[in-house]
Amino acid sequence: MERAKKILNEKYKKAYLKLSNGVKLEGNAVGADVSVSGEMVFNTGMLGYSEAMTDPSYLGQILVFSFCLIGNYGIPALKDGNLFMSKGHESSSIKTQGIIVSDIYDGCYHHDGGSSLEDWMKKQDVPGISGIDTRYLVQMIRENRNLSGRIVPEGAKPQDKNKFEFLKNFKNNEYIDPAKYNLMPSVSTKERVILWKGLKKVAVIDCGAKWNIMRMLAERDCEVELLPWDSDFSEVKCDGWVISNGPGDPKNTGDLVERIKKDVLSLDKPILGICLGHQLLSLASGAKTKRLNHGHRSHNQPVFSLPEKKAYMSSQNHRYAVEKSSIQSGWELWFENANDNSVEGLRHKTKPFMSVQFHPEASSGPNDTSWIMDEFVNLL
Amino acid sequence: MPILDFLLPKGEKKQKVILLGSGALSIGQAGEFDYSGSQAVKALEEEGLDVIIINPNIASVQTNRGVNKKVYLYPITPFWVEKIIKIEKPAAIISSFGGQTSLNCVIALEKSGVLKKYGVKVLGTQVSALEMSEDRELFAQKMKSIDAPIAKSHAVSTVKEALETAEQIGYPVITRSAFALGGLGSGFAKTAAELKKLTQAALMSSPQVLIEKSLHGWKEIEYEVMRDKTGNTITICNMENFDPMGIHTGDSIVIAPCQTINNIENNMLRDMAIKIAHSVGIVGECNVQYALNPNDYGFYVIEINARLSRSSALASKATGYPIAYIAAKIVIGFDLLDLKNPVTGTTSAFYEPSLDYVTLKVPRWDLNKFSGVSKNLGTQMKSVGEVMAIGRNFCEVMQKALRMVNENEDGITVNVFKDASDEDIEKELLSPTNLRVFAIYETFKRGKTLEYAYEKTKIDYWFLSHILYLANIETELLSFFETKVKKDIVAAQELYDAYKQIPKDRMQRLKSMGFSDFQLTKIYLSACLNSKIKLSIKEIRSLSFAVRKLRKKLGILPVVKQIDTTSSEYPTKSNYLYLTYDGIHSDMSSKKNEKSIITLGSGSYRIGSSLEFDWCSVMTSSYFKNKKNDSVIINCNPETVSTDYSASDRLYFEELSFERVLDIIDIETPKGVIACMGGQNPNNLIQPLSEAKVNILGHSQKSVDAAEDREKFSAMLDKLGIDQPEWTSAVSLDDIEEFIKKVGFPVLIRPSFVLSGTLMNVASDKQSLDYYLSLTKDISVDFPVVISKFILDAKEIECDGVAKGGEVILSLVSEHIENAGVHSGDATMVFPAQKIYARTVNVIKDIVRKIVKGLDLNGPFNIQFIAKDNDVKVIECNARASRSFPFISKVSGVNFAELACKVMNDEKVKKILIDESEIPYVGVKASMFSFQRLDGADPVVGVEMASTGEVGCLGEKFNHAMYLSMEATQIRKPKKGILLSTGREKDKVKFMEVMDNLYKLGVPVYATKGSAKYLEDRGYSVNTVHWNRSPRAVDIIIDGKVDFVININKNLSVDELHNNSEIRKIAVKCGCSILTNLEKAMAYLRAYDSYNELQNIEKCISL
Repeated sequence: MERAKKILNEKYKKAYLKLSNGVKLEGNAVGADVSVSGEMVFNTGMLGYSEAMTDPSYLGQILVFSFCLIGNYGIPALKDGNLFMSKGHESSSIKTQGIIVSDIYDGCYHHDGGSSLEDWMKKQDVPGISGIDTRYLVQMIRENRNLSGRIVPEGAKPQDKNKFEFLKNFKNNEYIDPAKYNLMPSVSTKERVILWKGLKKVAVIDCGAKWNIMRMLAERDCEVELLPWDSDFSEVKCDGWVISNGPGDPKNTGDLVERIKKDVLSLDKPILGICLGHQLLSLASGAKTKRLNHGHRSHNQPVFSLPEKKAYMSSQNHRYAVEKSSIQSGWELWFENANDNSVEGLRHKTKPFMSVQFHPEASSGPNDTSWIMDEFVNLL
Repeated sequence: MPILDFLLPKGEKKQKVILLGSGALSIGQAGEFDYSGSQAVKALEEEGLDVIIINPNIASVQTNRGVNKKVYLYPITPFWVEKIIKIEKPAAIISSFGGQTSLNCVIALEKSGVLKKYGVKVLGTQVSALEMSEDRELFAQKMKSIDAPIAKSHAVSTVKEALETAEQIGYPVITRSAFALGGLGSGFAKTAAELKKLTQAALMSSPQVLIEKSLHGWKEIEYEVMRDKTGNTITICNMENFDPMGIHTGDSIVIAPCQTINNIENNMLRDMAIKIAHSVGIVGECNVQYALNPNDYGFYVIEINARLSRSSALASKATGYPIAYIAAKIVIGFDLLDLKNPVTGTTSAFYEPSLDYVTLKVPRWDLNKFSGVSKNLGTQMKSVGEVMAIGRNFCEVMQKALRMVNENEDGITVNVFKDASDEDIEKELLSPTNLRVFAIYETFKRGKTLEYAYEKTKIDYWFLSHILYLANIETELLSFFETKVKKDIVAAQELYDAYKQIPKDRMQRLKSMGFSDFQLTKIYLSACLNSKIKLSIKEIRSLSFAVRKLRKKLGILPVVKQIDTTSSEYPTKSNYLYLTYDGIHSDMSSKKNEKSIITLGSGSYRIGSSLEFDWCSVMTSSYFKNKKNDSVIINCNPETVSTDYSASDRLYFEELSFERVLDIIDIETPKGVIACMGGQNPNNLIQPLSEAKVNILGHSQKSVDAAEDREKFSAMLDKLGIDQPEWTSAVSLDDIEEFIKKVGFPVLIRPSFVLSGTLMNVASDKQSLDYYLSLTKDISVDFPVVISKFILDAKEIECDGVAKGGEVILSLVSEHIENAGVHSGDATMVFPAQKIYARTVNVIKDIVRKIVKGLDLNGPFNIQFIAKDNDVKVIECNARASRSFPFISKVSGVNFAELACKVMNDEKVKKILIDESEIPYVGVKASMFSFQRLDGADPVVGVEMASTGEVGCLGEKFNHAMYLSMEATQIRKPKKGILLSTGREKDKVKFMEVMDNLYKLGVPVYATKGSAKYLEDRGYSVNTVHWNRSPRAVDIIIDGKVDFVININKNLSVDELHNNSEIRKIAVKCGCSILTNLEKAMAYLRAYDSYNELQNIEKCISL
C-alpha cells in the first residue's frame, strides 16, 4: 500500500537505488529525506522488520526485504527503559542504513502497534525505497559477491555523520563496505551497566547485543551486566559470559579477540558466544573465519546438531563464518548447516564453552533453539 | 536407506502398501485428496513399493492404472477394505492421504482388530493419536496437559444439557458435532431458541454435540506442521482467514502467509503448533487451527487435523513445498534430513519455505444451484471449490482471485451491489453471504469509512484498507473520465486516447493493483457511455484490445516469477510460475519454443465441472510431456493434480481469463493451445482466442460454434435428417404459448443465463409454467428463453468419442439408469450399456458419424440422445472432452484423453473398434450429492445439475456394480425402516416389480397414504403415515424409525414438488439414505438379488 491515496494526481517522491555494479533502480522515497550508503544485504524472513531494523548486526547495511509486503502491523511501541515491554525492538534505534521494499504499508492498526513503519523511519532519519522488484534485487545481491548501494531520494540531504562512529570513515556519495572498519565503537555500550539483579551473574560483552539476549537471561533469573567492548574484562566478577552478536568482520575488532583469549577464555567459566560472539570466541580459540558469498539472513536456516542427530530451524544474520578445517583440538563441531554444511556451532570438549552462529534468542524468527540459553544458564 | 525394516526386501518380493483414497467429491472433502494421494503414490512408487489404491473415485488421477499399482474401485468401508486386505496381504496401510473418510475407516479397522488379524501396520501417525485428534473430549484433555489454551467446550447429548451448558458459559455459543467433516452439524446460536433448533438437528446425526463459547470476530489462523519419526519438526506455512472466526475455513477467503500478525504472535502460535505435533506424536503432516484475539496476545487452539487436508493442499500450492510427497516419505520411515527440497534439488527438506509473494484463496460457491438453501455463510461449509491467486500485493491477488472464481474478466469492480440499498449492504456486511467482499467494496464506494466497515465485519483493518484503496482508484478513474454528455457509442481509438492521458507510471500502478484491461475498459464505459446502452462481453472484450495495445506500446507487461520456496536465496530451476505487474524482471526469459503446447485447465471446481476435467487436463499435459514437447499448463485451482508442478514442464498458476492467457501466449509463443480438455470454462475461450489468431489445437472454432449455437446445430440436424426434440427460442410470452399449443406439456424451459437466479426447469402444466416464468425478469429479443418439448419416460443415452478430420476414430455408447429429465451430470451411467437394443446402438452410431462429419469434428466429443419406442433424438453435442471420459476410459481400457491428444497433435491414428461385449465387467458411474451440507436444499434431482462428485464401480454383473456404486455414494442398506412414496399410479405398478426385494429386508415399511393403500390392497403389511396428522411422515424420520427413504414425485408440478420436499429435506438432515428417482431406486433394489453373492465374493476386480 503506497502512502499516496490517489493514483492519478498526487505526486510521488522518487528515489533511486544506485548499486556499485552500475545498476540503478527507481522507486518511491519512503521514510526520511536523506541519502545513505551501505552494504547491500537481504533477509528472507517474512515478518519481524522492526526486530531486524533495530538489530545492531545490520549496522552499515542497506537491508532488502525479499518479502513483498512490509509494515503491515506497524511498529510496536518502544517503552523507554523497559526492555521487557519493548518486544519487537532489539536496540533503542534503527541500525540499518536504509531499507528497500516492494510495498510498504502506511497504516498501523495492530493492537501492539505504536506507529507506522514510515513515521518511525522519519523520526529516526532513516530512508527507504518502495516499489522495487525485490526478488530481482535479491538475485543480484546473490550473484554479485560484494554489492554496495546508495539510497538517493530526489533532492535529499546527506546523512548526518554523527549518527554512528563508523560513518566518519567515509565520504558522502561513496560506495562503502563497513566491514572494513571496526564497528564496535558504533554499537557497544559506552559504560558498564547492571541491567537487573538475579541469582547468577552473567557478563555480556556488548558487541551490539540484541535486547532479547538480555531478556532471556533475566527470564532465567540471571543478573545481567552489560560491558563495553573495550572495557577491562579482567576486572569483571561474574558466573558466566555471553559474547554477543554484532556487526562486521570479527577480525576488524581491534584487540577484542586477544582480550577475550586472555581475560575470558582463561577463566574456565561458562561462555556462550552468539553470532559475532561465536566468531570472536572461535578466533580466540585459534580457529579462522571467512567471508561468505552473501551470508545467511533469514528465519529458516536448518541447523543440525551432531551430538543429538536432530535438526532445528534457526534465525540467522551473518556474513562471516568459522572455517571448518581450522577448528582447534579440544573443540568439537556442535552444529552444522543442513543446506551448505557450514559451521553453525562449536563446543569445547571439556570446558563449559559453547558458541553458535545462529540466534537462540531469535527475535525475529523461530524460538526452536532457545534451549541453548537454558543449557548455558544451567552451567552457571 | 532409512526405511522401516518391514519394508526391506524379503528376497525379491516387493512389499505392498494400501493407500486409501477419499471417495466421491463432496462439500468438505474435494479434489485436494486426489492431489495428496497422487503425490503419495509417486513417493511410494519411487521407493519400489507396490501400491494398492482403494478409491471408488474413478475420475481421479490416483486411480489410473500404473506399473507398480493396483486400483480397486470399491467403497472405502471397513468391509471392503478388509476384503481387499485378505486378497492382497499388504504389509501396511496408510490412512492420512484420503481425508476424513479414510481416517475413519482405518480407526474402525484398528478397533475391530482386523489390522492385527492380518498383520497390517498403520504407517504414519498412529491410530490412538488419530482418535485423540478426532474425539473432542480426549483432545481437550490432551491440550490441557500441555498448557495449550482451548475454548471451553462441553460435550452434551441432550438438548436440555445443551441449554444448561450455554447458560453457564454465556451466549453466543457455537455447536459442533464430533466425527464429522467440513463442520457438519455445526452452528452459531445467540439465543436459547436458536441453540435448541441447532442441537436438535445435530443430535440426529451425531450422539454427541459440543457447545463452545463463540469467538466471533477473532482472527482465524492455521499452521501446517511436518514432523518425522525422530521428532524433527517444521512448519511449512501459516495462513490467515480474511473472514474472522464464525465462517468455516473452507468458506473463508484465506491469505498465505499471514499478513496482520507480528513476529511475536507468529512465533507464539508456531511454537504451540510444534508442541502439539510433538505431544500428539504426529509422524507426517498435521494442521493446527487457532483463534487469535485481535486485541491482545490471547489465543485458543481450535482443532487439529492429524492428516493431509484441504489446507495442506493449499499450503503446498502456496509455498511450492510438496507437503504430501514429503509426508509420504516420512510415513514410510524417512527423516526430513534424509530428503532434499525437491524444488531446489540441493537444499534440505528440513526447511520452512520463505515466500516473496502472497497467495489468496477464494472459495467458489454454487448456491444458486440449490433452491431453498440460505446463502449466508457460517460454521458449516458450503463451497464446492476454490481458486488461488498469486501476486506481489494484496490488491493484485484479490482482483486476480475474483476473476478466477467468477469466470468474468472483472475483478472487485463487478458492481454486484450497485443497485442495492444501503440497508441491504449493511445487512450483507453483518451477516455475510458469498458476496460480502463486493458489499464491502460498494460500501467504500459510497463513502463509508474504514471504521464503519470494521465495526460491521470485524475484518482486519489491513484487509479493509486495501479494498478501500481499490474503491478510491475506481472512483478517481470514474471522475477523471466523467463526461457531462453521455455517449451512445465508444470507439476503440477513443478508449486508447483516454488511457493515454494517464502517465505511464500510474498506468503501471493500475495494472499492479490487479486491474484487467477489460475492467479498465468497463470503468471508462461506465464513466461516459449512456447507461441505457448495454454492451456484450464480446463487445467490451474487443474494445479492451485498445487498452492492451496502449499498454504494450508503453512497455507495461507482466513479468514471470518463479515459486522457489527460498525467495531466491538459492538459484533454482523451478518451473512453477506466476505473472505479476509488480516487478520489472522476469525469472524466465521469453524464448520461442517451436514445440511447446499449452493446456488450459478447468479452473475452480464447481457443480458441473470437477475432477474429471482435471483428469483430462493432466492426461493431456503428461502426454505432451512424455512426447518431449514443452508441456505447459495454465490453471488456478489449488486442489488439482494439474497444478502439481511435476505434471507439466511449466506450470503457470494463473487466471484462465482471455487477457492472461494471451499474456502467457505472448511469452511462450507456443506451437498450439488446447482448450477442449478442461471443460466448458476453457472451451469458452476458443472463440476469442481464435479471433486473436491463436493456434487452437483440436476442433476448429467453426466446429465448436456450430455445435454450441443452438440455431446452427438444429439447422444442421434438420439438414442431415436427424431427429431432435421440438424447440424454439421464445422472445415473448406469445411465442411460448404458441409453441406449447403446438407440442403440449411438459416443456423444458431454459432462460438466458443473464437472468441469473432462474434455473432450468420442466413445466408440466400452465401453473408451473407461469411460476417458473415469473422467476425470470423479462423475456425479450436480448434475453430469449429456450423452450423445448420434454419427452416423458424416455431413455437417455450418451456417446463419448474421438474424431479426426470429420471421421469417428472411436466412439462408445453408455446409458443412463434414470429416464430423461435428470441432468446427465447427476444421472447414473452404465457402460457397457445393458438395456439398449443393438438396433438402437446402430442408429446412434450412424447419427454420430453424421454429426461428426457435419461438424467436421477433430478431437474429443460427447453427444447426448434420448430414445423412446425406437425413436432416437439428439439433445446436444459437446465438441470437447466430457465428464464421462475418465469413466469410459477406465472401464473400456482405452484412454480417450490420450487418443484425443494424438489427434490434436496430428499424429497418425487408426480407427479403433471395441467389441463392448468383450469387456469383462460392467461399470456404473453414480453421482454424489452434498445435500446434507446444504441446509434447506431439496434433494430432488432434475434438469439442473446438483451433484458435487461421482464414483465409478465395477462388477462382474450389473447388480454388483450398481450396489457398489450406491454404497460408495452413501446409499446404505436400510437397517431401521423404510419410508415409501412411490409417485404416479403408473410408477406404483412398476415399482411392484421390486417390492419383494424390499420386503425381504425384514425391516418395517412405512408409506404415505396412496402408496400404503396400494400396498395393502396387494396384501403387504405397511404402516400408513400422513402429511398433516399423526402419525406424520416427518415425525417417523425425526424419531429415527426409518433410515431409508424412497420418495418419487408424481409429476413435476410446483405443488407436488413442494409437498414432498419437506420429507426429503428432513430425511437428508437426519442422515437417511434417500432415492428420489424411480428407475434408480428400482435398479438399486433389484441389485439386492445379488447382495449375498457380492458380499461373499472372493475376488475383487482391480485395474
